[in-house]
Amino acid sequence: MGRRILSHFGLIVAVVIVLFPILWVLRTSLVPAQDSYSAAILPSVTLDNYRALFAEKNFGRNYMNSLVVASLSVIVAMPLAAMTGYAFARFRTGGRLARLATLASQMLPPVALALPTFMLFRNVGLTNSLTGLTIVYAAINLPFLTWILMGFFEAIPEDLEGAAMTDGATRWGAFWRVVLPVAAPGIMAAAVLGFILSWNEFLFALILGGSNTATVPVALASLQTSNGVQISNVAAGVSLAILPLMIAAKFIQKYLVEGLSFGSVK
Amino acid sequence: MSEIKLNKVSRDYGLGIFGVRDVSLEIEEGEFMVLLGPSGCGKSTTLRMIAGLEETTDGQISIAGRDVTRLAPRHRNVAVVFQSYALYPHMSVRENMRFGMKMRKTPRDEQDRRIAQAASVLGLQPYLDRKPSALSGGQRQRVALGRAIVREPDVFLMDEPLSNLDAKLRGEMRQELVKLHRRVGKTTVFVTHDHVEAMTMGDRICIMRNGRVEQVGVPLEVYARPRNTFVAQFLATPAMNLIEAQLNAEGEAVMLSAGPIAGPLPEREAALYRAAVERKLLFGLRAEDIVTQPRPGAQAFQGIVTVLEALGPENLIVVETAGQSVSARVDRHFLPRIGDEVTLYADLAHTHLFDAASGDAIAREV
Repeated sequence: MGRRILSHFGLIVAVVIVLFPILWVLRTSLVPAQDSYSAAILPSVTLDNYRALFAEKNFGRNYMNSLVVASLSVIVAMPLAAMTGYAFARFRTGGRLARLATLASQMLPPVALALPTFMLFRNVGLTNSLTGLTIVYAAINLPFLTWILMGFFEAIPEDLEGAAMTDGATRWGAFWRVVLPVAAPGIMAAAVLGFILSWNEFLFALILGGSNTATVPVALASLQTSNGVQISNVAAGVSLAILPLMIAAKFIQKYLVEGLSFGSVK
Repeated sequence: MSEIKLNKVSRDYGLGIFGVRDVSLEIEEGEFMVLLGPSGCGKSTTLRMIAGLEETTDGQISIAGRDVTRLAPRHRNVAVVFQSYALYPHMSVRENMRFGMKMRKTPRDEQDRRIAQAASVLGLQPYLDRKPSALSGGQRQRVALGRAIVREPDVFLMDEPLSNLDAKLRGEMRQELVKLHRRVGKTTVFVTHDHVEAMTMGDRICIMRNGRVEQVGVPLEVYARPRNTFVAQFLATPAMNLIEAQLNAEGEAVMLSAGPIAGPLPEREAALYRAAVERKLLFGLRAEDIVTQPRPGAQAFQGIVTVLEALGPENLIVVETAGQSVSARVDRHFLPRIGDEVTLYADLAHTHLFDAASGDAIAREV
């Protein structure tokens, strides 16, 4: 009994340490600007910071941009990643080199790609457009999703496809009707991860975007002006930016657990 | 007609590594053929080549007179029961069975009829709407069978389907499968490493080793006339006793000298093996041909008991004699203690002789 209380106490301390910055941001977003830096926990509560963010800073537009770009990039990248991941998992497609290249692309610092991408996109008129940003994010997501999905497909017994193919399905049919549904939790988990990756991306959004196409991270950065950091607005923006991630985290938990323990065949 | 013909079939993995090499085998219409061998002998690969799941790099496979060597699995009209069952985990039992018929565009009412019939034969009616994960191992096994049956394929291919079941269930399913085969009457290829399954289920068995066929035949014939020491030893537990031996002619008689076991071969055996005198041989005798009571033609020998396994209906003992271990399957009332010296009788009427160098059975002169 005593040990349980002790371990609970330890866990509570750990949780507070982790949650404190987030809760403080939430608190700062809810108090008037002049109280932002005071030590008082909740001197008074107001939604003015949020109101200002949407009314004066056009944050709604930024939020929409982020949602659209992050979602579309996953939707575009996912089918390609699923097929590539499946090919990697089942065939010798591309050999070790292709797999290594896929992984290596994740190790490249994004800055190295930013400038060439900007030059390229400027030439074809894709700067300052959500389409351009979607393409970049899809390209960033593709190797990442491919790698994750490859792992999920490898975990599916090959006999399942053997059964489907002797049952009358083509290789594609076996993939579509059996492998994909069985891998669905893994695919969902990967999609959520891809969404978070795009949602948080800053560098390309800053370089390729303009005022109309700024995403949430860019908008939040712009609140740190030469006249000081508008901390109450930043806090409100950050609180809203965390929201989809909270929801995503919940999904990930569910799907990853399902994804890892799906259809025990034996 | 749905006979299967393999003509010098090989699976070459490159770099001189073969999964299966030059296998020729004819499986007759309606026959239950068992592919038997140790793991890695190529039996599963052979089965998967018949199914089209493994590439055939050389040779031809034909099913029902049609060359299917280069056909996709779906065009071969075969049904496979996998060791892992490979049930579709996201589909109910009913949908699992329906899948193959749906792919082949069987009319809906015909699908329902066949599912109902298979479910009743296999006792699956209560589980039709369950997912495989909610079934026991034995039930999953039945679903896998049902999924194959409803397809009404030309050929059933079964890849160690019983090896994931516990011993009791395995025995039951063995008998059920045989009954099912009699009822359905379809050509069946059954892969196993269990010689009991092979002996009890197969119309014929095909014993493989290192990607090659060692012997094909009716189980009891193969048991009685193993072509070499590998087949002789693989087809029984305990494995056939093998002892270095020599034959000597003494007038009309042929004298066997095999370690502790020595004496004249019975008249019939003497005639059969007369040509093998003076060669380096291996004398083979099955454990059940070593008995505890004297009988005509049986040679006595003594040994120290080192192992006693009382199985219930019978006992297995191993005795050490003249540096040889000899296994015997004896009566359940014969219960020596470890370390006892016992007298056993080797029944030379059941002598097997093999060439010591090649392991091939000595040709009998009939």
